[in-house]
Amino acid sequence: MSFCRIKSVLLQELRITYSTVGIIMDVFGLSLVSLLLFGFLSLYLTGTQHALAAQFLLLGMLLWDIVRIIQYSVSMGSLWNIWARNLSNMFIAPLYVSEFFLAHLLSGIGKAILVFTLDSVIAMLVFHFNIYQLGAVNLLLFFLNLSIFAFVIGIAILGLIFRYGIGIQAFAWALIPILQPLTAALFPVKVLPTPLQAIAYLFPCTYVFEAARYSLSHGGSDWHSISTAFFMNLFYLFLSTLFFMIMFRNAKNTGQFARNEL
Amino acid sequence: MSEVILQVENLVKTYGSFCAVGGISFAVPRGKVVGLLGPNGAGKTTTIQMLLGVTLKNGGTIHYFGKDFSRHRHYCLQRINFTYAFNTLLERISVWDNLVVFAGLYGIGKPRKKILELANHLEIIDLLPEKYQNLSTGQKTRVNLVKSLLNDPELVLMDEPTASLDPDIADKTLSLIEALRKARNLAILYTSHNMDEITRICDEVIFLDHGTIVAHDTPGNLTKRIATTQLRLTFDDHQKGIDDYLKSHPYRYTFLDNHVVLIDVEENLIPKLLFGINTIDVCILHIEIKKPTLEDVFLQIARGGKNVIL
Repeated sequence: MSFCRIKSVLLQELRITYSTVGIIMDVFGLSLVSLLLFGFLSLYLTGTQHALAAQFLLLGMLLWDIVRIIQYSVSMGSLWNIWARNLSNMFIAPLYVSEFFLAHLLSGIGKAILVFTLDSVIAMLVFHFNIYQLGAVNLLLFFLNLSIFAFVIGIAILGLIFRYGIGIQAFAWALIPILQPLTAALFPVKVLPTPLQAIAYLFPCTYVFEAARYSLSHGGSDWHSISTAFFMNLFYLFLSTLFFMIMFRNAKNTGQFARNEL
Repeated sequence: MSEVILQVENLVKTYGSFCAVGGISFAVPRGKVVGLLGPNGAGKTTTIQMLLGVTLKNGGTIHYFGKDFSRHRHYCLQRINFTYAFNTLLERISVWDNLVVFAGLYGIGKPRKKILELANHLEIIDLLPEKYQNLSTGQKTRVNLVKSLLNDPELVLMDEPTASLDPDIADKTLSLIEALRKARNLAILYTSHNMDEITRICDEVIFLDHGTIVAHDTPGNLTKRIATTQLRLTFDDHQKGIDDYLKSHPYRYTFLDNHVVLIDVEENLIPKLLFGINTIDVCILHIEIKKPTLEDVFLQIARGGKNVIL
């Protein structure tokens, strides 16, 4: 691992973000719109018998954005390079794939921290919801777990795009919204029909959202859910990395990796 | 004998039952320009992709600086570079930022100094603050060249570097490449469809066809492989007389019109031919001798011609 190379990819990522309205809208604009939507909805619900549900909505929305932004950053960082026919330029430099992804993960984490901080302050000031009441340790563990999950999804999607071409690039931004209801980000898992509950528990972030809701409603930490999420994440990280490596190798073997830029 | 920078042995690439590259071997010595030529689908791009590691080979070996590329990928990539007419840098960011990113990827100690030095040399100083997407094709080519020289490579793979450039800019770019090669004793593996370019810049030419090397020689020697020169004669009204004379001799010929004939003839037989025609009371108005060019060799090979001695 070379710090210099990671810094270079980070610089590229920073410059693209800075100069592309689409990214600013996707990362910051969409978060703000979601916050306003769920914030006002929560204000409405607070005046009813569903005050806790209102808080769950805002809690889920703030945490879900961590997943969305990091996954977006990891997947889109490569796509910007593919669209510009620059990805092979990057990989014919002495750059390791691990350095490339680590840089995009760090970039995603940076953006997620920025958006989370801004949104949580707005949520506190405008919608009277203080996510920091969960405690620093809880928040850090939630952030860690959600980051790993986002990275797992991000590199799995990239593996598919590298292997099968940019015809399936929509996965990079369209897959993650499908997971939002399936992982019960905004409501307790028990709301889902039984078969979907079983599916929900296949995702590590479902446990994170359950643990967050537990902390909000009962105080303290749901260590069982947090540790379950963590170990599942490690397992999925292993699988996802393996999957990416196989897809990347196949893409180079079939010539698809080079053809992606033709 | 110059040090060999790139040594390719028996390189093979297959896609299912289709053989894209069928066991080619060649070397690129230090300071030499080796051209890779061939019709579309000959395997040039696949070969370049394997040499860069973006496509995996099925067999054979690639050695840079004596080291196996598959085992010392990063060591090799640090000492070579690549430029391609259709590979671009990131469109939305400035030329400067693009170059700083690549300087970082190659671990250049003083990127600012290096970029300014190269930008000055390739006359793109004014372009550095511009967004890459705002550049003309010629400007992008020069920026790509700067990128390909950032790490002081000992070998640059150039895939059609002048494609889509107008003749003036293409000529300037070629002059630049020639100067760089001379100044840095650079080895270059060069692909192009422009035969004049190849003749001008390459020390050796490798002809690929259907994934195999069908000829490998200097441009001069390759043109000598076409056995015949083309003689174009413009004459007065005696077409029948010429036709009768040529029929009685083993020449291939075609009348372009009643006054012009093209004759394929070995160069040393031209005086004999002209003397013979002169004896049949034909007045020759104009003689044009077209010696075979690399393009003729290319066309003969691409069309499976019999006139090339392989």
